[in-house]
Amino acid sequence: MSHHLFLLSPSDTPLYSLTHQSTKPVPSVTSPLASNLPTWSTSAFAGTLTALSGASSATQHTTGGAVRVGGGQDRHVIQMIANAGLDVIEDVMRKENMMYLKSVDKFNEWTISAFITPGNMKFVLLHEGKNDDGIRQFFMDVWELYVKTMVNPFHTAHTRIRSSVFDNRVRASARKHL
Amino acid sequence: MAYAQPHPRLSVVSTSSQSSSIDHLSPTTSSTRFSLPSTNKPGPNRPNIYDRNLNKTRASEVSAAAFAFLFSEIIQYTQKRVSGINDLERQLNTLGYRIGTRVLELLVWRTEGSSKTPKRETKLLSVLMMIHTKVWKAVFGKPADAIERSVENPDEYMIIDNDPPIERHISVPRDMSQLSCSSFSAGIVEAVLDGLSFPARVTAHNTPNSQSPNRTTILIKLEKVVLEREELLK
Repeated sequence: MSHHLFLLSPSDTPLYSLTHQSTKPVPSVTSPLASNLPTWSTSAFAGTLTALSGASSATQHTTGGAVRVGGGQDRHVIQMIANAGLDVIEDVMRKENMMYLKSVDKFNEWTISAFITPGNMKFVLLHEGKNDDGIRQFFMDVWELYVKTMVNPFHTAHTRIRSSVFDNRVRASARKHL
Repeated sequence: MAYAQPHPRLSVVSTSSQSSSIDHLSPTTSSTRFSLPSTNKPGPNRPNIYDRNLNKTRASEVSAAAFAFLFSEIIQYTQKRVSGINDLERQLNTLGYRIGTRVLELLVWRTEGSSKTPKRETKLLSVLMMIHTKVWKAVFGKPADAIERSVENPDEYMIIDNDPPIERHISVPRDMSQLSCSSFSAGIVEAVLDGLSFPARVTAHNTPNSQSPNRTTILIKLEKVVLEREELLK
């Protein structure tokens, strides 16, 4: 089961991203759309199309969990889903005063959870299973690390976070909670 | 003062404007902090910022004298690089803004960071109250003295401090009487409002009265979108 985390600045510039493969078991996701679709494996856009139609989980999981190419695990598809989630997040965050917005949006097998810091940084997480409490703790860890990053005078709202220590800490927290 | 070698910071200050290299300013390569013993050089054993506990300095206080000297230095430095009072106020506002973004995030982390359901402020009035009490307390050690809404303009709010701590040791020359050094605080307020997505223009004005000659008003002029949104979400 994989998780994708994006940290976006108030102006929606991505400052940090992480893909985490969890060791916890994959819940079986069956997409009703997927079984009705033909397999377009030859087209250049096949990956995107199958991903968007929701076929990925049905077709890709049969390969036995090896390196999966295309489909719902494709980088550009993931980014697009995360970006699409932003619209919903921005709607919800004006009404909700919670920082942790759990499962604000869904797209095929992906669920999108978000965390809004008071300074309007957005942490967006794409995940497959339901793990509200773990995700909350993970977001809290990331928030603490982010606060430590941003009080550094050399960090500005648009600086990408390149610190390897930050990266390691986020990964460690992901291993623990996700 | 006796230094074994010429004061190392002098060279940094004097060459920083021409030098294209930023090595001088990088804390990892310079060993020029004269107040620290040389064994305390930043090295591989120096704890990095992620090891530090964010609550460690929560209750600690900064000497008012140290701050007054620093702030005086900030104003002198800025004044050399601007033309006119408006420009100076704008620069001070910018400097405050950088602090405000950090104050906001750190302040809220300290109150909500251990909560199970951390909340953000989303209502205008509660944001203003938070600035009046919590932000002022965190930055100046006391809440502001008043918060008012303008009678004529519904988009204007005022935070009033009868004796701003940052101006206690400042006497503004008569020919610059419009200058309010609290533009620095105005920048902090602007950053906090901006961070919580209530964009506004924030300025500082001297409004002395008979009891408090240092009385300062921080004027918040909210942008139109904020009022429209408040109206919609009512």
